[in-house]
Amino acid sequence: MSDAARPADSVGMEVFSNRLLSITEVMAIHMMKSSFSAQIKERRDFSVGIFDAEGRLLAQGTHIPLHLGSLLGAVETTLARVALSEMRDGDSFICNDPYLAGGTHLPDIAIVTPVFHAGAIVAFVANIGHHTDVGGVVPGSIAAGAKSIFEEGIRLPVVRIAQDWEVDPNLLAVIAANSRLQDERALDLRVQVTVNRLGCEQTRALFERMGVANAQAAVQDLLAYTTHRLIRHVAALPRDRCTFESWLDDDGIGGAPVKIVATVWHDGGVLNVDFAGTDGQVAGAMNVSENALRASVYYCVKALLDPDLMPNSGLFDAVRVMVPPRSVVSPHFPAACGARSITCQKVARAVFGAFRGLLPAEHVIASSNDVLPVISLSGSHPDSGAYYVYAEAVGGGAGATGHHDGMDAVQVHVTNSLNLPSEVLEIEFPLLVEEYGLAVDSGGSGRHRGGLGIVRQLRILCDDTVLSVRSDSHKFGADGVHGGGMGAGGALTLHENGNIRTMPSKVDAMALSAGTVVRFATPGGGGFGPSHTRAAAALARDLKNGVVTREAAAKDYGDVLKVADDMDV
Amino acid sequence: MVRIGIDVGGTFTDFTVSESAGGALFYFKTPSTPHDPSEAILTGIRTILETRGIAADRVSYLGHGTTVATNMIIEGKGVKTGLVTTRGFRDVLAIGRQTRPYLYDFLKQKPEPIVERRHRIEIGERVTASGECLSPLDRGELEQAVEALLKDGVQAVAISFLHSYRAPRHEEEAERFIRARWPELYVSRSSTVLPEFREFERTSTTALNAHVGPKMAHYLDHLCADTRTLGIAVEPMTIHSNGGLLPVEAARRFPVATCLSGPAAGVIGAAIVSSLAGVPDIVTFDVGGTSTDVSLVSGGQPRFTRSREVAGHPVRLPMVDITVIGAGGGSIAHVDASGGLKVGPTSAGAVPGPAAYGKGGEYPTLTDANIVLNRLNPVALLDGRLPVDRAAACRSIDRHVADKLGISTEEAAYGIIRIAAANMARAIRAVTVEQGYDIRTLALFAFGGGGPLHATEVAREAEIRRIIIPREPGTMCARGTLMSDISLDFSQTLLERADDAGWGVTTDALRALTRKGDAWLESETIAKADRVFNATINAYYVGQNHEIPVSVSLSPMASVETFRADFHRAHMVAYGTCFEDRPIAIVSAGVQAVGRIPKDSPALLTGGGPLADALKERREVYLGDGGWQSLDIYRRDLLAVGEAVHGPAIVEEMSSTTILLEGQTGRIDEYGNIIIDDAF
Repeated sequence: MSDAARPADSVGMEVFSNRLLSITEVMAIHMMKSSFSAQIKERRDFSVGIFDAEGRLLAQGTHIPLHLGSLLGAVETTLARVALSEMRDGDSFICNDPYLAGGTHLPDIAIVTPVFHAGAIVAFVANIGHHTDVGGVVPGSIAAGAKSIFEEGIRLPVVRIAQDWEVDPNLLAVIAANSRLQDERALDLRVQVTVNRLGCEQTRALFERMGVANAQAAVQDLLAYTTHRLIRHVAALPRDRCTFESWLDDDGIGGAPVKIVATVWHDGGVLNVDFAGTDGQVAGAMNVSENALRASVYYCVKALLDPDLMPNSGLFDAVRVMVPPRSVVSPHFPAACGARSITCQKVARAVFGAFRGLLPAEHVIASSNDVLPVISLSGSHPDSGAYYVYAEAVGGGAGATGHHDGMDAVQVHVTNSLNLPSEVLEIEFPLLVEEYGLAVDSGGSGRHRGGLGIVRQLRILCDDTVLSVRSDSHKFGADGVHGGGMGAGGALTLHENGNIRTMPSKVDAMALSAGTVVRFATPGGGGFGPSHTRAAAALARDLKNGVVTREAAAKDYGDVLKVADDMDV
Repeated sequence: MVRIGIDVGGTFTDFTVSESAGGALFYFKTPSTPHDPSEAILTGIRTILETRGIAADRVSYLGHGTTVATNMIIEGKGVKTGLVTTRGFRDVLAIGRQTRPYLYDFLKQKPEPIVERRHRIEIGERVTASGECLSPLDRGELEQAVEALLKDGVQAVAISFLHSYRAPRHEEEAERFIRARWPELYVSRSSTVLPEFREFERTSTTALNAHVGPKMAHYLDHLCADTRTLGIAVEPMTIHSNGGLLPVEAARRFPVATCLSGPAAGVIGAAIVSSLAGVPDIVTFDVGGTSTDVSLVSGGQPRFTRSREVAGHPVRLPMVDITVIGAGGGSIAHVDASGGLKVGPTSAGAVPGPAAYGKGGEYPTLTDANIVLNRLNPVALLDGRLPVDRAAACRSIDRHVADKLGISTEEAAYGIIRIAAANMARAIRAVTVEQGYDIRTLALFAFGGGGPLHATEVAREAEIRRIIIPREPGTMCARGTLMSDISLDFSQTLLERADDAGWGVTTDALRALTRKGDAWLESETIAKADRVFNATINAYYVGQNHEIPVSVSLSPMASVETFRADFHRAHMVAYGTCFEDRPIAIVSAGVQAVGRIPKDSPALLTGGGPLADALKERREVYLGDGGWQSLDIYRRDLLAVGEAVHGPAIVEEMSSTTILLEGQTGRIDEYGNIIIDDAF
């Protein structure tokens, strides 16, 4: 390594980095503990970050990869719209709009706060929280069928929400009045300002303690180090252009499949990710705004090249994202983009796929389930008469790797949310869980088998129960790699009086009667390597464990099955 | 009477011995014997009895913390285990909570279920959430299932049926059936191990209990036989994760509870020692060979959690709430290809260990950094029993850190210490904020071999004013074992509203749990006067998912109004807010049955010689910006009560070394603790 690239003070940089992370951790804990909505408190759908005076991200804390870099747009836009000379100590700015303020979708509201030291801005702190409802046509503000951003809730450009740490009551009232849950909005926005105040005080103390010049030197070291570390990984890749396409079942409102294409290459210095060839923006809300796309790409780069890399601008600087105009990953105002999550999973599938041509075989992973399927059943509870909603994002199989079979039953890529225990489900809702298990034969065949999806089979116990599903990958399974087989797609079936009805991946408010059984299976992961190279002992174990049936094994594994049959495992 | 407390660690087995009431404690360490942990225990006890001239029949108490069960789970070396469960639910252990363990790293997998799928057998039986029977237990299927498991070499069986926390009838029936037919088989059922809702955590805890059960029983039998041959009449008790002791029979039935037992004893001991010293609000800071354990004690009470994992498998039992950081004495420092210096999480462990220990360690560890700077004795540790090769430590740091970064050996070594301190301080801040405490109101209670070595730097980094360092910090966990009582937790899921009707059900459950606990203490022949029952209710506001524990009085039985007020307060502390008009859901009730066992009063020290007598030597020590300075090195056991040692200085004792920085003063209190009041 050349001396020029080496940090001036490796020890100081690491100590500084720990101190920054300590501040983001304290901010995150306060955000989680003092907020009111379950989305932030329980599901931790938020992120916090510290930026330097130029708006470069230094440290971020989040539990959700889709938030990676999502604060960046808010801070960049704040700097672009508000002159530094207009900012005062104690000011905070608010925004959420994908088109006006670098947001990712309207429920994610950002607060940005300058940090002053000795009369000058030395840093910014920022946080984003997912607000449960910001208005729009449906409760929760996310409707796959929304046709413009005006159907998705209140739009906030960059505006000052606090002065001298006092939240502007008029602005707060306007925002709250646009939500179905007014009180929660007002309370949580105050919490967001308070969290930034805390982060601001601690960041200021850090700059005071270290001295501004030393802190700035450490910032320089930290960002250059991060870039250098990523570039080292990038430069080691072959100089090929690799392309991969992934598909959405439809546009969110029952239209044709939608193609996403990612092409990846590098020139030794910058990693290029180009989405040329991706289908145009869609009529529904499956569009991905610019910063949601960047977050998805940054997530992929970190996961594929260096999982321990600190998420800061040093990482972002080494990645260039290119998009064709007016595509599903670069929608034009006023396209709706609330239901972006499933599309982001397909973006991850395309980028992971494109990287397969560049990565050494041992780092390659087959496609995973790559959906974020939400199934919901609602109605009025027979005991209380109260309206209830059971909603759950169900995991699926992960892709096989060069080292092991894919993980069974996990959330992948941009999310990692928990399931709902079957006992809790039955305690709270008038539903009977008939099966909650692995989807047999759903893993793609191969030397290493894809992970298995999940089956949730529910018996409806009351008439007028309403089913809604926002899923995908019923038409396109997870791709195998290096000759591995494709994972099974998802499936949704209704069982009534002996009849089985196969449903599409999106179901909008369908009424069901008591006795109907809903069976929902999520996709498995793709396989790795040709199936004839699978170890017979591994296949024999799969058969004994019942995760692969004999019929499927006969079809997928041929001669290996004959050897496996004679094995005692 | 003589009481012996033991902690079996990865590298050393530690002993603390109390020979008489009010007398001084005796501390001892011997190398651990991982192939058979009881060997080191026996060696240690034999040595202590011989060197102290103690007759074996005077030993009235033997308590130990052990990682036998934990290691079995981590290494997957328990017995082949089977599970019988409700039709439709054999994959509960495989699905878990459907999360992946590492957000960004798909090459790191979630652990394989502790029971293989072919040994997870579904049988016909079903009850609903309200406890109504939808289909009866199919005994024919049960019999076939167990026969198939036995044929496949399964040695322990877990029974876990859906909603058994509410209606355990089918599980009871299944257990009776299996025990009658196969009396030798090790059986655990979920409604005794953990009668609480959420099937994955309950099934996981029960399956782990079965998995470690047979071998833990074997270990205990072996240990009891060995101590008997020494002539010791009492049976050894085992510390479990709530910091209490389990008599042999309970440990045999409930071995999963002994996971994470050693660190828990240290926190229990720290809570008692710090309370005696008049400082009941502390953060414990236990720096060991591979990791650092941090835990919060408020008002002299350790805090408990119920969401812990062992090797990725949930164990949902009350445990002392300890946060583990991957930085300890053996943590390896390395420079990556981009010039970043990292300390840990890779550890040199006991073998090959630090470069300075001469056991083949090549890479520089935190301990090596301390030796290079002469912060640790550069000749020998453990009262001279562990020789140290400082030159080897210097070579290792030069080759792997200093040369790569183009800095001096001292700068590299000091950098390693600063980075470790920043990392540890960050974890301490997160723990205190998470628990809702202001770090400025807490003292740092430093122990483990490396705690006192880093406490002063960590306190400055985390802005903590006061530090307490107990005597022989390196054997604190063994000492904690001397201070504990026997205890076992009994719990029950309720899912009631905190209204009058719900409170009736809750108090009935609390009384029933107390009766269970009382019957257990009776079976352990604990006198009535020594039985104590502590009740906790876990609750949340309707609509939330994470319950908060609230202590309640059993006699007189708390009223629902008192409970509600206490819950709002607890929510305020935990989350900074409360909602007095929202309904509260009571999720579960727990009763901890405690049997007090007789203990010696702590020794109060007096007198001692002049400070000059305690001065052992002077040594050149590197102190960062201050460069190399000649420091006074004191022997801790010769420091008189009330004495003050001014930094920069070093205090050495058998199991640890305390560093006092410039501007810090260490005072010896009447219990022999070093108290530093001006750390930050």
